[in-house]
Amino acid sequence: MTIVDARAVSRVFPMPAGPVTALRSVSLTLSAGEHVAISGPSGCGKSTLLHLIGGVDTPTTGSIVFEQRDLSRLSEPERARIRLMRIGFVFQRFFLLPMLTAAENIELPQAEAGVAAGERRARTRELLEYVGLADRADHLPSQLSGGEMQRVAIARALSNRPALLLADEPTGELDEETSAHIADLFDRVNRDGTAILVVTHNPALASRASRRLVMTSGRVLA
Amino acid sequence: MTAFRLASRTIRRYRAQTGLAVAGVAVIGALLFDMLLLSRGLLLSFGDLLDRAGFDVRVSGGGGMSLRLPIPDSSSLVAAIRALPEVRRAAEIRIQTAILRTRVGRPVGITLVGADGANEGGWTIVAGTDLTALPAPPPRCPLIVGRPLAVQLGVGPGDAVALAIEPAGTATALPSLECRIVGVAQFAFGTATDDTVATTLGAFHEAAGEVGEDEAELILVSSTREAGPMAAIEAIQRVRPGARAYSNEQVVEQFNRNGFAYFRQISLVLSSLTMAFAFLLVATLLTVSVNQRLGEIAALRAIGIGRARVAAMLLWESALLVGGGGLLAIPLGEILATGLDRILRQMPGLPEQLHFFVFEPRALAIHLVVLATTAIAAAAYPVWLATRLPIAATLRREVVG
Repeated sequence: MTIVDARAVSRVFPMPAGPVTALRSVSLTLSAGEHVAISGPSGCGKSTLLHLIGGVDTPTTGSIVFEQRDLSRLSEPERARIRLMRIGFVFQRFFLLPMLTAAENIELPQAEAGVAAGERRARTRELLEYVGLADRADHLPSQLSGGEMQRVAIARALSNRPALLLADEPTGELDEETSAHIADLFDRVNRDGTAILVVTHNPALASRASRRLVMTSGRVLA
Repeated sequence: MTAFRLASRTIRRYRAQTGLAVAGVAVIGALLFDMLLLSRGLLLSFGDLLDRAGFDVRVSGGGGMSLRLPIPDSSSLVAAIRALPEVRRAAEIRIQTAILRTRVGRPVGITLVGADGANEGGWTIVAGTDLTALPAPPPRCPLIVGRPLAVQLGVGPGDAVALAIEPAGTATALPSLECRIVGVAQFAFGTATDDTVATTLGAFHEAAGEVGEDEAELILVSSTREAGPMAAIEAIQRVRPGARAYSNEQVVEQFNRNGFAYFRQISLVLSSLTMAFAFLLVATLLTVSVNQRLGEIAALRAIGIGRARVAAMLLWESALLVGGGGLLAIPLGEILATGLDRILRQMPGLPEQLHFFVFEPRALAIHLVVLATTAIAAAAYPVWLATRLPIAATLRREVVG
């Protein structure tokens, strides 16, 4: 079943020196449970495509349909609800809230979704065990290593059981060994049924995907 | 995870920033609180002094409260007023400048008040006896001397003095009257250099050489609890249509319009300025804080945290900063007000018991409302910034940065 259907998507950024075309008529489909990696040189439009699929940006032309809903026709609150419930985001810089513990960071999207407190705590415990950080629940991000922070970020992305996990350079700030652990975790998440679209420069991480795409100059080559 | 909890965690995380904001708002809030106390302090204090004097209606012959004209045929008017069912008691007041000479000292100029029944509330005896509690036979000319004058002259109850009426700017050849000080008092409107001396109306008439003159400067009236001052005023004006009668509230209102508007205007200008400072301080700190956390906020929005929660979080941050500072501002403002009041009350010619800074619940309520408004206003731009930021562009900038 197709969960993402991007058709002839272009994105042009207006700049003082003139418009910059980041994406040129890109079409892409993603099926449920699929694991796709996108690679390419910096500035080729990988992150822009990821942002458009994640509904945090809208295409200049073309359409992105996520689970039968055209994202560009939705209001920001509607897109925020889809991001909250159906899409998980993992960022290169983790972006955990520094004043919240690991467990609280994971609980936050559930609280926004209106999950009851008891259920939230149980789900959070389950996710912390899932990412191997059950003993770090009460630690602040500043007390965690980079790899641990990224694992908490992945747990946070999974907290509302999304259909799709979007990861933008998730190993960009990690060493090789930690990156391998994160790649293992992504494999496990995917095996458990969540589709993954990962944008990465890391060939080892990209090699884990079932489908690998390469982008250059705003176009998907393969 | 409520917005309040997120906000409280955030302000605890940025301790230095929070400390600066709270301290800044506390100082500014203290100034605001003082301005609010000052804006009506004199009026409240003045009204309180009027009320404490024990009379709630003042009757004059015309010319308003600041320029009182004598009341012709005042004795009969006082008698008629005393007979009114709306009136509990009435006192006839004569005022004149005079010279007081002690046995050893040089003569001093005084303000002589001839009062009949004004003792209850008009002054408080601090030594000796009152005019109404004199031993029999009463002295021919009993005097109550204001405390500062008694200290200045070194006199007290039992001392004999000579009194001579000497109207300002008028040459008289009135003989001195031998008087005896029966008490030392704190006059309700007495200043730090108070030169007031009170005596009975009979002694006043004798000292003034008045025979058949019957023109009091003021009649003080206390209405009955049931009737109230307005009913008493109506009744007095029915008895003597030409007489000008004012309730304490009307006197205060008259002073508010004429004498004290200055303080209100100053206080309005200064409180507006202090709130502008508070607004700028909190808005700047919050804006800086939001700018430092743009990546974090963009990520929050990306993972589906709604604009409402982000806005509520920032509003709570502002409320906690302003609220914390605002609460500290109250005791700080009280301390500051006490000091400023002490300084201002040293101005010459002011009644000793008059205060510039007077607490009233209304001031506290306005203080809280103004601070709440400031908190909301200060959060407006940071909220707009956080809820309208382009998520994708911000995330990209954060990574590239």
